[in-house]
Amino acid sequence: MEAVPDITIWRLLAGFGLLVIPVALSLFVKLGIIRQLAIATGRMTGQLFLMSILLIYLFRWDNTLLNAAWVIMMILFACFSAMINSKLSFRKFFGPVFLSYFIGAGFVLLFFNRVIVNHENIFTARLLVVIGGMLLGNSLNSTIIGISHYYESIRKEKRRYLYLLSLGATQNEALLPFFRDAMLAALKPFMAGMATMGLVSLPGMMTGQILGGASPETAIKYQIAIVLAIFTAITVSVSLSIFMTSRKAFNPYGVLRNDYFKN
Amino acid sequence: MIQLQNVSLKFDKQELFNNLSVEVPAGGRLLILGGSGTGKTTLLRLLLGFVMPDRGNVIIDGEKLSLENVWKVRQKMAYVSQEMQIGRGNTERFIKEVFSYKNNRNISYDRSKLVSLLEDFHLDAGTLNKDLEELSGGELQRFAIIVTLLLNRKIYLLDEVTSALDQPLKELIVNHFLSMKDKTLIISSHDSVWHNRNFPTINLGNNGSSS
Repeated sequence: MEAVPDITIWRLLAGFGLLVIPVALSLFVKLGIIRQLAIATGRMTGQLFLMSILLIYLFRWDNTLLNAAWVIMMILFACFSAMINSKLSFRKFFGPVFLSYFIGAGFVLLFFNRVIVNHENIFTARLLVVIGGMLLGNSLNSTIIGISHYYESIRKEKRRYLYLLSLGATQNEALLPFFRDAMLAALKPFMAGMATMGLVSLPGMMTGQILGGASPETAIKYQIAIVLAIFTAITVSVSLSIFMTSRKAFNPYGVLRNDYFKN
Repeated sequence: MIQLQNVSLKFDKQELFNNLSVEVPAGGRLLILGGSGTGKTTLLRLLLGFVMPDRGNVIIDGEKLSLENVWKVRQKMAYVSQEMQIGRGNTERFIKEVFSYKNNRNISYDRSKLVSLLEDFHLDAGTLNKDLEELSGGELQRFAIIVTLLLNRKIYLLDEVTSALDQPLKELIVNHFLSMKDKTLIISSHDSVWHNRNFPTINLGNNGSSS
């Protein structure tokens, strides 16, 4: 199958013309989103533009070390974003969160490239950077949900936690129910999306491959594989990040250190 | 025996306890009175090692509460507070999980005792088929107490446990605890059902100063 033609700059600008409709609606019913929309559109365009330049060179040089370094950079971005959004103290939790992404996304990424795709160079930019980005992007949301849910519920349900400790639970035994709840909160949205995939929407990766000229058979196999990989990466990075931050987040008496969290 | 020796504690710059000393012999009772914010709950949490004093010692059965023994000492105690939060899921499964804790494996799960306790506390046997989130506040409160009674602890720390219950249930619970002569009871309560029972009492005052 043939790839779709490139979009010229002028025609892309025409694409921005579509925004006239939402802007008009916003003016008409006073949604008040124009400023925010302008910023978001600007950021999206700028970031993707920069990313395309970066990808052009990453693909051109296709240097293993450089590709790996970029994946590490992406992990760092994911880390910062997760920690800001889940109110963890940077200084105390950077290491554990970084490691859980590194292990979670890293393991699944290598498995995907080696076992599933079976490419001779698993560090090639097209696989490492692109698949790595998909795994990390998806793990990010779930980790934020998982970690926030975990620590918020321990704080909100402090009496429950202390009650379990007083019933003779070890710290891990008392934390297990909170861990379960947090994992479910993190995993359920993705599973719900999985169950309707293909019915309502064609997932982005598959759409992209078909537009790029791949046959639907190839596209669908990649799509299935990436969904399985994302789900596993999410499970590993959410559980590891909870497990590893938990080891630091409590004092030796088993009480949550509130000073390790931002309000 | 429980001893607080010259315990001082500040919380957010507010002095809660200044050289507080209290002694409760085994099987003894202590009633803690005081306005809200005077540290009644904190005092109970000190005994459990959930809060550490700035100065002074907490001594349980002759052992100074410390990192080395805090997890063991907690196993002598039961702690129930007001507006209990226990969790979710089936009530009996919750009890079984508690009995599966490493520290509780030597205690056998006595279902007939559970059933008779439910009856004592006016909960019907169907409670065991319900989920925790289906129980009302008062039912949950009694259920939380029952779980601690099944574990047969020596020391009971009761933090406003009767506040959400109606009068007959309050009396039921008070009488149940008072009938357990060998248990040490430390009670914090505004509730008049606990008052006038000739318990040794400490009053934490109204604004955090202890007497």
